[in-house]
Amino acid sequence: MAAGGGNQPPQIAPYRPYRLLRTLTGHSRAVSCVKFSYDGTSLASASLDKTLIIYSSATLDTIWRLVGHSEGVSDLAWSSDSHYVCSASDDRTLRIWDAHNGECVKTLKGHSGFVFCVNFNPQSNLIVSGAFDYTLRIWDVKTGKCVRVIEAHSDPVTSVHFIRDGSIIVSGSHDGSCKIWDAATGACLKTLIDDKVPAVSFAKFSPNGKFILVATLNDTLKLWNYSTGKFLKLYTGHVNRQYCITSTFSVTNGKYIVSGSEDNCVYLWDLQGKNMIQKLEGHSDTVISVSCHPTENKIASAGLDKDRTVKIWVQDA
Amino acid sequence: MNATIIDPLQGDFPEVIEEYLEHGIMKCIAFNRRGTLLAAGCADGSCVIWDFETRGIAKELRDSDHVAPITSVCWSKDGHYLLASATDKSLTLWNVSSGKNVARATLQQTTLHARLHPSSSAPSICLACPLSSAPILVDLNTGNTTVLPVSVSVAGPSTVSHSRNKFADGSSPFTPTAATFSKYGDLIYVGNSKGEILIMDYQNKHVHGMVSVQGGAVIKSMVFSRNGQYLLTNSNDRTIRVFENLLPSKGGVKALEEVSETLGCELEVVEKAKMVGSKCLVLSREFQDSVNRSHWKAPCFSGDGEWVVGALASKGEHKIYIWGKAGNLVKILEGPKEALTDLAWHPVHPIVASVSLAGFVYIWAKDYTENWSAFAPDFKELEENEEYEEREDEFDMMPETEKVKEEDVNEDEEVDILAFGKDSAFSDSDLSQEELCFLPAIPSPDVPEQQEKCLGSSSKLEGSTPSGSPLSEEAGQNEQEVNPGSSLFEAVGNSAAEEVATNGRVKRRRKPSEKVLELQADKGRKPSTKKKCAGKQSKNKNKSGAQENGTGELDEYVTDERN
Repeated sequence: MAAGGGNQPPQIAPYRPYRLLRTLTGHSRAVSCVKFSYDGTSLASASLDKTLIIYSSATLDTIWRLVGHSEGVSDLAWSSDSHYVCSASDDRTLRIWDAHNGECVKTLKGHSGFVFCVNFNPQSNLIVSGAFDYTLRIWDVKTGKCVRVIEAHSDPVTSVHFIRDGSIIVSGSHDGSCKIWDAATGACLKTLIDDKVPAVSFAKFSPNGKFILVATLNDTLKLWNYSTGKFLKLYTGHVNRQYCITSTFSVTNGKYIVSGSEDNCVYLWDLQGKNMIQKLEGHSDTVISVSCHPTENKIASAGLDKDRTVKIWVQDA
Repeated sequence: MNATIIDPLQGDFPEVIEEYLEHGIMKCIAFNRRGTLLAAGCADGSCVIWDFETRGIAKELRDSDHVAPITSVCWSKDGHYLLASATDKSLTLWNVSSGKNVARATLQQTTLHARLHPSSSAPSICLACPLSSAPILVDLNTGNTTVLPVSVSVAGPSTVSHSRNKFADGSSPFTPTAATFSKYGDLIYVGNSKGEILIMDYQNKHVHGMVSVQGGAVIKSMVFSRNGQYLLTNSNDRTIRVFENLLPSKGGVKALEEVSETLGCELEVVEKAKMVGSKCLVLSREFQDSVNRSHWKAPCFSGDGEWVVGALASKGEHKIYIWGKAGNLVKILEGPKEALTDLAWHPVHPIVASVSLAGFVYIWAKDYTENWSAFAPDFKELEENEEYEEREDEFDMMPETEKVKEEDVNEDEEVDILAFGKDSAFSDSDLSQEELCFLPAIPSPDVPEQQEKCLGSSSKLEGSTPSGSPLSEEAGQNEQEVNPGSSLFEAVGNSAAEEVATNGRVKRRRKPSEKVLELQADKGRKPSTKKKCAGKQSKNKNKSGAQENGTGELDEYVTDERN
């Protein structure tokens, strides 16, 4: 838990470092994704051991283990009412699970390649998924039918995310491009990045939908203003050359960018100043996924195969 | 929507049928305030709420005791309630999220158009326009009814409950009238059978002003634009008229009273009313079908008030006319040869929903055109040819200017990731209670048999042709044709195809992309725009010609149990 680097810009309150609270060892293989629910009561983790686990966010006890996929799970997403979890798996399906009783409610079939990323829209009546078949698919939650297929990229799709009013979708891919799509018609509205190298490993809208946080496999995180097509902030210091590491915004106590890294640490940067504030050490393999609790100062992180744990970090009061 | 990169030309008009909704026989429709839900009243007395984003059914409002066909549906401003009028003379108020009937009133006559009061402070008041008599204000909670005056000489309202259609001025009871609330419900505009528009106070039903429509033809319906600035009337003389509303949205009553006062008391009542009326409404445009001289059905404004839309009221034809505000006819939408019963323009998008006599709701939208500048970050669409000036160092190995480019942006500027601006399209919200925009989408559980199937097949990653289907041979063959590149097709029917049956024959279809159309053309198949999906086969994979429509066309709903 080394404190962050040298020059810290003047802050309103002195930065309170995060420390390790608990290590959760429920998975028998690499953990691929970890996410807090929108109401903050639960935490879900997905793993290459083909299962997902739902924990209570307060006690960190395991509540449900979701079994059903026949191959490893790469990504998961919570519905806005925190009632359902959708998982994306290498068995080319997505499954919608009821988080209250651990049952699989629906299976969404249609992709012809490993499903790699998934997200609900804010209204949670649609799910968007990206897969190794280079397409995005939009699914109707109620009926499970695929409503639209978008031929989005020329390489596996690594990341998909709806904007806060559900009107547009951002997608990132190994083909190096990051594109924005109209959710209602499937039309491509904008291409943000179109270099062949480096691959775009992650893309996500800011909470107010004005900016997109994009991670590329050259150790770089950028915050783009997609209307102008220019990036405003650049965050570096971590290692990201190989894996699709997720990053996120931390807004509960000051504004930070949080990301995992291939040097086994969780990095926190000040959003405005771009300087690294803290580096959380403890994992024994690449930290592939991070998630911030919606209201508390809590971060969850997930480690790959040599680690297999979910670690919970909190700020001291 | 707050996404600034969506094409600003959204304020346009629809051009083609995008898809159609089917559920029983629908008779009338209404969008909720944000256009996220579409309510449809059916011939069997139920109301169906469609989630407009997924084009699936979100809720069904049904009461087994009341099965009379619905004549009109109207949303409350906050979207929590839906008012439905039916041919059994009833008015029913439904709570949309709970699906329960919260109030009911029965009138003397069947209501043709019913509207809820726009203000949230009067949630149970509605204005009912019966088939052939004066409009009535109904309080759904108490059952009180107030018949509104239909001409200026009537001094005040008759507040006898359940009043028979008596008019103080002795005019014949069978005179159709139309009525609508002003934007905030402080005024009521009534159009009578003599072609007069009366402007009256909602509180005391006092008629302040009157406007005579030229020709004096019966006014069949009236509707305001969303911003309350224009009033549209549909008259028996086959003309749609648009009036500009000169009164302010808020404080209209006060303004009217001021005008009245300035005119003094010497004038005779009718004269005075006309003078006041002339300060309230001014005729702006008239729309007619000069070729066929047909009547109009369900005319209304677009969400932004820029376009006026009306349908020909002719049997056997489904034609929708769109005019610009300036009066020019911009488009005629022609649908399948079924008469049109109702029409609604989406509050925000250039989308029109029309109901045909057969009970289908057709959704018209803009034709999708590629936006070429979207395909690369530095593509820009040009209106006309531009002369390109080469830079001095354009062809240098390391051009100077490119090095400078990265530092253009001020990286130290504060970035706000949390604050979002108000949605300008809905800034007129005066809601005390939170608006209902969506109904929760609860995934309907997969049938267990399907679950086994999917477990089974997903374990075999090298796909095999599905077995056990009555069409399996054909399915097998067809799937070979379709081939691994089939991700190009929009696969809608997956193993949940059975769900179609349980949802009551809900059918949706997305407009195929260009590639799909091309491929289909190559393989000699035509995309069908209308297919009655009545097939309820248990293991339905590809719906081929074995069904009732017997067209032999291969349905492009390819399943995904493929290699």
